[in-house]
Amino acid sequence: MAFLDTGAGLTPVFPSPPEAPGITEVITEEAAVRPPVGPLLHVTPLVQEGDLVPRGGAVACLRHAPDVRFAAPIAGRVARIDLLPGRRLSEIVLFREDDGGVEHHDTKAATTAPDLRRVLQRAGAWPLLRRRPFGGMPAQDETPAAIFVMGTDTRPFAPDPDQALKGREEALSRGLAALATLTEGPVFLCLAEGSRLAQVAARKDIHMGIHLAPRGARHPQSSAGICMHGLFPAGLDTPVWDIHAEDVAAFGGLLDTGTLSMTRLVRIAGAGLREARLVRSHPGADLRQLTQKIARPGAHVLMSGSPLDGHRAHWLAPRHRQVTVLPRPPVPRRSHWLTRALTRPGVAGPAIPTAALTQALGAALPAPPFLRALGAGDAETAMQLGLLSLLEEDLALADYVLGEGGRLMGQMRNLLDRLREENAA
Amino acid sequence: MTRGLWTRETVASLLLAAYLPLALFWTLSGGVAALGLFGLVALIVAGWHLAFMLLRAQPPSLAALVTALGIAMLAPEDLGLFRLGLGISFGVVMGEMVFGGWGRNVVNPATVTLAFLGFGFPTFGWPGFDAPVAWAAIPAALIGMALGVLPAAVLIGAGLLGGIAVFGGLLPDPVLYAAGIVLVLLVADPVTSAGTTPGRWINGALYAALVVLFANQWTGAAPVQIAVSAALLASIAAPLLDEAALALWIAQRRRRHGRS
Repeated sequence: MAFLDTGAGLTPVFPSPPEAPGITEVITEEAAVRPPVGPLLHVTPLVQEGDLVPRGGAVACLRHAPDVRFAAPIAGRVARIDLLPGRRLSEIVLFREDDGGVEHHDTKAATTAPDLRRVLQRAGAWPLLRRRPFGGMPAQDETPAAIFVMGTDTRPFAPDPDQALKGREEALSRGLAALATLTEGPVFLCLAEGSRLAQVAARKDIHMGIHLAPRGARHPQSSAGICMHGLFPAGLDTPVWDIHAEDVAAFGGLLDTGTLSMTRLVRIAGAGLREARLVRSHPGADLRQLTQKIARPGAHVLMSGSPLDGHRAHWLAPRHRQVTVLPRPPVPRRSHWLTRALTRPGVAGPAIPTAALTQALGAALPAPPFLRALGAGDAETAMQLGLLSLLEEDLALADYVLGEGGRLMGQMRNLLDRLREENAA
Repeated sequence: MTRGLWTRETVASLLLAAYLPLALFWTLSGGVAALGLFGLVALIVAGWHLAFMLLRAQPPSLAALVTALGIAMLAPEDLGLFRLGLGISFGVVMGEMVFGGWGRNVVNPATVTLAFLGFGFPTFGWPGFDAPVAWAAIPAALIGMALGVLPAAVLIGAGLLGGIAVFGGLLPDPVLYAAGIVLVLLVADPVTSAGTTPGRWINGALYAALVVLFANQWTGAAPVQIAVSAALLASIAAPLLDEAALALWIAQRRRRHGRS
């Protein structure tokens, strides 16, 4: 009865060619430093166009918190600094030059929690963390009520964290112990059933506050928001952070060796390819170079992220570990007004409560009332049903299953933005 | 962006597919007259869908056929075109279209139509059902549950309580047949039944309890009339059941986590 045992959720199937064996390491010729998804950040650039920066070297810092820095993912020369009005960071593009070297940080002194926090912020590791409610990078001095470490990923085509962390268990346990000092609450390590990483959390030498949370194999069971919703919901006064297990290992490596590892396991998949690939690349990698030799001829769409929650992009987004290549859909012909009225109405249809909808939210919350509250902009009901733990990516499967084309995610983002403004005052 | 399939129209067509066994056996026993009645009802319902598309830009839905099937199977007999048209217009417009079309309605338009016809023209006789037609409700319910378009908790909740009543000798056969068909066609509608799992169990059980109550205490009522009245009351109670189930769920979470 394997069908019943895997628990709630769905396994959406997307077409993709077979994968080439092995993992290749790709450092792209161009790379960009992008701010994490969330509200735009005011920054002060620390380099000028034409400067040579080492890998891991700081290229910009937050204007109101100079300790929080953004690090260069590759060694190279600064080609372009793009700032939006108000000095909000758009992107900083680097051209690769391998003689730029590697930035070393002094981590020996990082014994207390404030020191550790400063080391992570100055090394450019802070944007790897994401806070809820509302999403985005945590504030410089925020103390979370709990931290979720995601050691499993059920999104279609997601690379297996077990494979990504092979041989790096030491660094992971070091990183977990460091994370546990940043919070007074629990640290949850979410793992797939039967994951090898369970041994890491069971070791005696790391902090006692690490809780194992086994998750099933169907999406969205390893969506951070759905895990949080069931185990430790985020609230307005109780922010909860989440971070990928591979990034925790990067923390551990930083504390051990003084250099922040920039590479991560990335899967390139999708119907627009001749063959799928598993590569070790870095955040801000140039998607055109990653996919150039394996894309099918013809027009295609490059997306950073999974087919469910990805977005069209030029660079690999800061927390993403997937690249999706889809054939570009043909431009629809203009049809008769009556056909359009019948098939594509201006007002979107309502969500009918079915088993598919319940499973698309992992059977974690009452789906029909929640979607009704989102559609009506009813913040109070949505918050009672668990809105504050969730972000767009947790709703991505429901959005896909209902064929909404991003409308549900947009509704949720609007509601979250409104709540953030109301509570900031 | 790629898109999934479970739009409103997909659900409507899957509902139609689930009701096919029921429709087939009903047509076999009713013959050409039944088909003609279904066509007439579908025409009137579709007319209102078209009117609201042109006047209010509300997209029409395949659910019009589901509504038409429910009305054609259960409406009082020999009403005549005027009375039938009046009842359907009232039910479809006031029960569904004014709320914004199928998916946003609070009561099933077929239930409203049938209640209107039953209370408005009490002299006309209600239809009776043969055993084969009533048995066809079981495959319809199974297909609907397997596809996930009919709420399983409503059907099982009503089935369990109904089974106990049959075992206790409280449900005569004609009432059981009518109640089974009404359960699948009207009560287990995914839109207007309760939306939370505990609410659905109680929704189904409430319907079965009302049927048992009416069957034993309402003298002189036809089986279909009993079932339709119970369906109307159960669907009016559904939002209340949902509200109670949600309040309970939120209270439980608050106790466990200290916040919702």
